[in-house]
Amino acid sequence: MADDASPAAFPAGLRAALEKTPGLACVDFTQLGTAQVALFYRGPGPRSAAAVRAVEEFLRSRSGLVVLGATAEAWRAVPGFVPQILGAVPGGPFAGGAAMSVINLYPHPIFAGVNRFETTQPMAAFGQLADDAQMIMEGTAGEDTTPLGWVRRGAAGRLCHLVPAESAVLQDPAYQRIVVNAVRWAAGRPIPDARPAVQRTFMPDAYPGSIALTFPNGPGVCIDPVRGGINTIWDGDFVDLRPRWITKQGAPARIFGEVFYTEKAPQPLRLGSPSADSKFRFRGYVLRDGVPEFHYEIDGRDVYETITAQADGQGIVRTFRVGPGARTLWMNFEPQTGAEVTTRGLERDGAVGSFAASAGGQFVIEIRRKTGGAIR
Amino acid sequence: MNGIFLSVAVQATRPPGFGLQAGLPAIRRGSLFLLLALVPLFAASAPPARLTGRVLKADTDAPVAHAQVRVEGPTLVGRENSQIIQKLKADGRYQVDVPPGAYDVWVTAPDFEEVKSHVEVKAGDAVERRFELRALQRSPYRVETLKLPQQMIGEISGVAFTPRGSLVVTNRRGDVWVRRFSDGTWRRFATGLYEGFGVVAPDEAEIIVVQRPEVTRLRDTDGDGVADVYETVADDWGITGSYHEFSYGLAQDRAGNVYASSGLCSFGRGVELPWVRGPLQTAQYLPWTGPGPVPDGHRSVAAYQGWAFQITPAGKWMPYASGFRQPLGVGISPDDELFISDCPGAWIPTSTLTHVEKDAFYGHPDGLKWHPELKDKKLTLAELAALRRPPSIYLPRGLMGTSPGQPVWDRSAGKFGPFGGQVFLGDVSPVLMRVDLEKVAGAWQGAAFPFLRGQGLRLGGMHNAFGPDGALYIAQTVRGWMSTEGNEGLQRVVWNGETPVEIQTLRLAERGFTLRFTTPMATVAGEAVRYQVKRFQYNYHPQDGSLRVNQVDVPVTAARLARDGLTLALDLLEVQPSYVYEIVVNREVQSRTGQPLLNTTAYYTLNRLQNGETKPGSTQLVAKAAEPLRPGDPARGGEVYRLNCMVCHQADGKGSPQAGTPDYTQAGGPLTRSDAELLATITNGKLPTPPAVLPMPPWGNVLPPQAIRDVLAYLRQTYQPSPAR
Repeated sequence: MADDASPAAFPAGLRAALEKTPGLACVDFTQLGTAQVALFYRGPGPRSAAAVRAVEEFLRSRSGLVVLGATAEAWRAVPGFVPQILGAVPGGPFAGGAAMSVINLYPHPIFAGVNRFETTQPMAAFGQLADDAQMIMEGTAGEDTTPLGWVRRGAAGRLCHLVPAESAVLQDPAYQRIVVNAVRWAAGRPIPDARPAVQRTFMPDAYPGSIALTFPNGPGVCIDPVRGGINTIWDGDFVDLRPRWITKQGAPARIFGEVFYTEKAPQPLRLGSPSADSKFRFRGYVLRDGVPEFHYEIDGRDVYETITAQADGQGIVRTFRVGPGARTLWMNFEPQTGAEVTTRGLERDGAVGSFAASAGGQFVIEIRRKTGGAIR
Repeated sequence: MNGIFLSVAVQATRPPGFGLQAGLPAIRRGSLFLLLALVPLFAASAPPARLTGRVLKADTDAPVAHAQVRVEGPTLVGRENSQIIQKLKADGRYQVDVPPGAYDVWVTAPDFEEVKSHVEVKAGDAVERRFELRALQRSPYRVETLKLPQQMIGEISGVAFTPRGSLVVTNRRGDVWVRRFSDGTWRRFATGLYEGFGVVAPDEAEIIVVQRPEVTRLRDTDGDGVADVYETVADDWGITGSYHEFSYGLAQDRAGNVYASSGLCSFGRGVELPWVRGPLQTAQYLPWTGPGPVPDGHRSVAAYQGWAFQITPAGKWMPYASGFRQPLGVGISPDDELFISDCPGAWIPTSTLTHVEKDAFYGHPDGLKWHPELKDKKLTLAELAALRRPPSIYLPRGLMGTSPGQPVWDRSAGKFGPFGGQVFLGDVSPVLMRVDLEKVAGAWQGAAFPFLRGQGLRLGGMHNAFGPDGALYIAQTVRGWMSTEGNEGLQRVVWNGETPVEIQTLRLAERGFTLRFTTPMATVAGEAVRYQVKRFQYNYHPQDGSLRVNQVDVPVTAARLARDGLTLALDLLEVQPSYVYEIVVNREVQSRTGQPLLNTTAYYTLNRLQNGETKPGSTQLVAKAAEPLRPGDPARGGEVYRLNCMVCHQADGKGSPQAGTPDYTQAGGPLTRSDAELLATITNGKLPTPPAVLPMPPWGNVLPPQAIRDVLAYLRQTYQPSPAR
């Protein structure tokens, strides 16, 4: 493929960081068709007709895409990109070129291993963020905020756009780590050190103060400390908290992705019988390598639950550790149309399972999305 | 092929900048709230009035940096805190649109004296007013803004220090950050909380926060500076998910008990609340029986909203006291006693600071629906008034802000100046208040003083803490209430070691008050004529706040300045309990070195006399008797109408479909009703008649009865259809 640009023009420090990253192999533009992820610095720029066709073909291929500091000018040769793929409309300099007073990194695997990212570089403003664009980085100057990073998982594959693209930012090891993570995320690859995110908030279809537990490769889980169970599991790695924050009349957080599991009945865990009026108490959680172990008391009996994601993000494993107690612990199950529920260590009888070991012990519940299974 | 293939696509030339697409809107935080708040005010078709002008340094054309204009008036009652605050641009210009009405306009700026002006505007008026600010006399207190990590969203909602001196803050996005005492570095200690709103820090590795659904103990058990244990300490009160039902606190006493509180839920819109933790009770404890809408939408719809809580070291949660509206400031005194500040609204006539005792009731009845003994008693207004404990301190609206924050006691051992043992409170407005408490006949009461107003203070001072450096640190957040620009974050007030010229203490005496100054005063301070004293009361009622009532001037009969110039005895014609006393010191009262007082006004809440008497006796001072009501004066009524009514009812009296106001001129219209009916409607308000959605607000708490008669006379004279028509 003929190319009219020099790869050496790509920001050198960033390129070096990418090239030395284990698991990444960089190719130049002529080999675009072989790449799993394309990383554009601002955009393809003016190119030959053949090169433009190659870019368009790549975009149609649903391969991963990472763009740094996109501009309309740099994508002029590919006119469909900005309106259909980018997910926002580039504008002028944000806040008149003022430095950001706040750069907010939302919980997302792309920020794994990054403790702090700061820059005083001016940023470009972007508006009209697409409804399916998940904002992962946001900047504030004065009273104005602007998206500095977002991801989309749409028909065009995985896209990550990061607004910071000035040369000083690109030399920052923390930002280089973010870019490398973005490339891995766009490729659907695991991101080293990525941990689940735990956020208490007001979730849809849940009591206030519920917990959004999102795994780096999905799924997302809503744990309800009042009801005492999992209200929702969705195919996604993110929950959008902005509806709670941006306005005074806060709405529930927004779930991104298809829901494939729900529960509604009060208090699935009971002591003595499946319908016993047991007192459920949420006692908090402990983070072990970022993975929460939740602590409940059912009529004073300690129950601990660790939730992990299945590798493909299509299900979870709930591992319960039960303290000693004389009365049998019961788990009530609700019928599911979007997921398979299997158990280990529970005496299962249809919609109920029992755990009778008075010395305590462990049982496991696996919830896996049925092929194509989605409730909404 | 191993690994991920990366195609590096390079832009050949740098694009010509961003200017080509300039002008796309960014997301403006808070703008939706402002819009919503404005809708009811300007729903009618009558144009609003406009206040414009510039704020300049006195005798110059130079704008004042960082000035703020605050507009307050009764027609802004539909807005949060009944005010509009505008931060001025660099050119010193302001422009505020308001409904027709009467307003106080306050202008503040760092290092300048505050200026207040009164303005009355009619629909369509454009009033230009120039404010000239004079440089503030040198204050020994300086307001500094702390630089925060760029990744910390500056909605700082709580502040505390560990015993070793590390600074701990919470923000409303759910983070806890710690600035380590050892090296000054910031670290995010915890994240993922649901609107942290207060913090205590017993240890470097143990921090207790109140978040909306619970009180949580955060512990760092592996020494990496980041919490790994999030232990639920207490979550026994109800929450609904409403945007406005905050959990407040925290304070910890010497025994390790932790105190928190829960504000009432904003229920004015009758929102659906399908997910409520605990029982839901939307009906009022004492139903509103007046005509018109319930004046204040704050209600205790979920369990123990409007209560203070105690949580023992063993984790036992106990409802502690009731009767609060928005008990935002929770503090523990050096004597290990609980004090809580509350925000004005129904049943809470103005901002308050209250010594809270177990099982006591402090005024707002709606939380009584959760009281084990009183929930079914259906107490009457008179019974509630008898049950209610008055606040230790009233903080009169105006000089003393609008919604007070957390009380903290100066225990700096002199590092903060000559006010050791006194209380400091921030406010949602740029005000820092000082309170000198004294125990009189077994109960706390005392004096409140403005301490800083403007002078670089930002808005939203909701929580405070004294640091090991002796400075007062103020956590500030306003998101959802007003402009966040430059109004959030963390500031500290630092004393430079010079003695401020202030009234240090104001204490009750047998014949009046004893003032102690911070520095010897010149002999003019011993002249009775230099002091103006008023006393007044507030209504305890379900209306949204209270005006001052029964206000009278109290003659100063003698003033005796001690030889040392520090102590002044101020004798009054009479001293009566159950009043707030306003003491204003004349500007001529100065220190022996010629320095005037930094603050000249004090408010003493006199709940009880030294002999324990709480009921006022016979008095020579009778509030100027209300003149007997005269027949309505249509000329005066026309002015009242233009200032207060025309925005909704229109200049031609034909009403407005948008505002849902009727056509007075129509045959069979409202003016066919009796005077008594119409006076009652104007006084008490009226619920909207569908399809109108906006209620007629009650004007009885805004307009005196004679003005209401006058405006009715004007309506009849101007709009009454003739019988022949």
